[in-house]
Amino acid sequence: MNISWEAATVLIGGVATLAIYSFLIKENPFYRFFEHLFIGIAAGFLPVYTIKSFFWPRVLEPMLGYHIQVYPDGTPTAEYDTKILFYILPMLFGLLYYFIYSTRFSWLSKLVIGFSLGYSGGLAFKGFFAEMVPQLTSSFKPLLVPGESGMDWAMSFQNMFFVFTLLAVMYYFFFTFQRKSVAGDGVAASGRWLMMVCFGAFFGSTVMARMALLVERLQFLLHDWFNEISGII
Amino acid sequence: MKATLGRRLIYLFMMLVVSVPLITNYTVRPAEMKAANQFYSLVENLSVGPNDIAFVAFDFGPNTKAENEPQAEVIVEHLMRKRIPLAVFTQYAQAEGFLTSIPERVAERLMKEMPGEKWEYGQDWVNLGFRPGGALFVQAVAKSTNIAKELDKDAFGASLLQIPAIQNVRTLENVKLLTQFTGLVGVFDTYIQFFQNENYVPSFGHGCTSITIPEAYIYLDSGQLSGLLEGIAGAAWYSELLLQNNPQRAPDAALVINTALGVAHLAVIALIILGNLVAFVGSQRRPS
Repeated sequence: MNISWEAATVLIGGVATLAIYSFLIKENPFYRFFEHLFIGIAAGFLPVYTIKSFFWPRVLEPMLGYHIQVYPDGTPTAEYDTKILFYILPMLFGLLYYFIYSTRFSWLSKLVIGFSLGYSGGLAFKGFFAEMVPQLTSSFKPLLVPGESGMDWAMSFQNMFFVFTLLAVMYYFFFTFQRKSVAGDGVAASGRWLMMVCFGAFFGSTVMARMALLVERLQFLLHDWFNEISGII
Repeated sequence: MKATLGRRLIYLFMMLVVSVPLITNYTVRPAEMKAANQFYSLVENLSVGPNDIAFVAFDFGPNTKAENEPQAEVIVEHLMRKRIPLAVFTQYAQAEGFLTSIPERVAERLMKEMPGEKWEYGQDWVNLGFRPGGALFVQAVAKSTNIAKELDKDAFGASLLQIPAIQNVRTLENVKLLTQFTGLVGVFDTYIQFFQNENYVPSFGHGCTSITIPEAYIYLDSGQLSGLLEGIAGAAWYSELLLQNNPQRAPDAALVINTALGVAHLAVIALIILGNLVAFVGSQRRPS
């Protein structure tokens, strides 16, 4: 029997899917084995793939000059670029992090930590404004929207509801001083209820996403896997 | 014991119900999605010059393949039909396989549909591979004065300066469209925050999983997104739009998956109603 690489992938994929779904019956060694296999693959994939597709071809290979081939007449395909050696400096700086394990030189690791905090803070600061400012400005909506003939009441109501929801939810999280008025409590309670509606929408969409996963797996089992199995039998 | 058996019966019932449309290949017309219409118009009306390109980020893995893969397929198909060169890449290592399989599959399908026409790697699309670095990578591309030189090589080690689809892409202004498909909110944020310069923000279309739809609407409402595909339903409606405008097109998996999902929803609603009825009747019979 001759099974192609693609067919073997599909066959193993089907067995792995069934193993994971077997948990629905009860916890069992078959499920446990594949669970560990998945965790192992997921954990190992990123470092290996980062080295294979990025660190080796883009950093180490050009640094070691392995990307340069030599023609039979002795001419190299490219000149070695010495500027690539500057990559060593940030690498050495990053390696200072490991001094965290030394009592005497742990201050060296703090340089790296400080640098990371600084650049992360700078990115977050810039990112916050780039992300939030358009959302803030778009929340200033006209409460009365003029339509082609008279008012566009549907859009006006939508905007009013949006602004009320925004203010009510913000007011619910306003804890600077105690709320005493009945109206204030009412607005805060509305904010809470509106959030509940939102959480309901989140839950509904989560169920939808999980069902989509089930549908895709069943489609794989019923078509791809079943076809491979029936081909072998 | 009784509760466990009941739970298993529900799982079995759900699997059987969902299997019916999958086995029979039964499809219903998907519901119209406003945000997907917006996305379709965006791609349809995109005007690109000879040095321009569309960036397509597949930031998803096998865990959200069910929803993100059909989304990515319909967008890649639409871009290829419009002959807009595209660069596929990912910031998520596990997406690597999709970078090769999706454009190849779409090109193959289009060539089958239109004999005599050709879609080729290098001319119509380029695979930039896995690009680690998160926000730093995104910023580097956005600020670059020679994007083809900055990104250096494709996923197979070929110089981008030799690949027609991308060799003349210089600045962010040459990137007419960015589309991204993901179930990861953190990765999506990096494009919203940093894929822009002082004078230019490319149009941004996004495909999200059902879980993140409520969050994605915030970006759509603020105009940060120019189009959105909401889970598999968005992909199915986009597929329907492609079908309406290209009647010779063969239906794809999005329509079948969407139909099965609709059946699953109906089954869940029926079970909720049934469960509440049984609980209500049970509480009435129980002595107070």
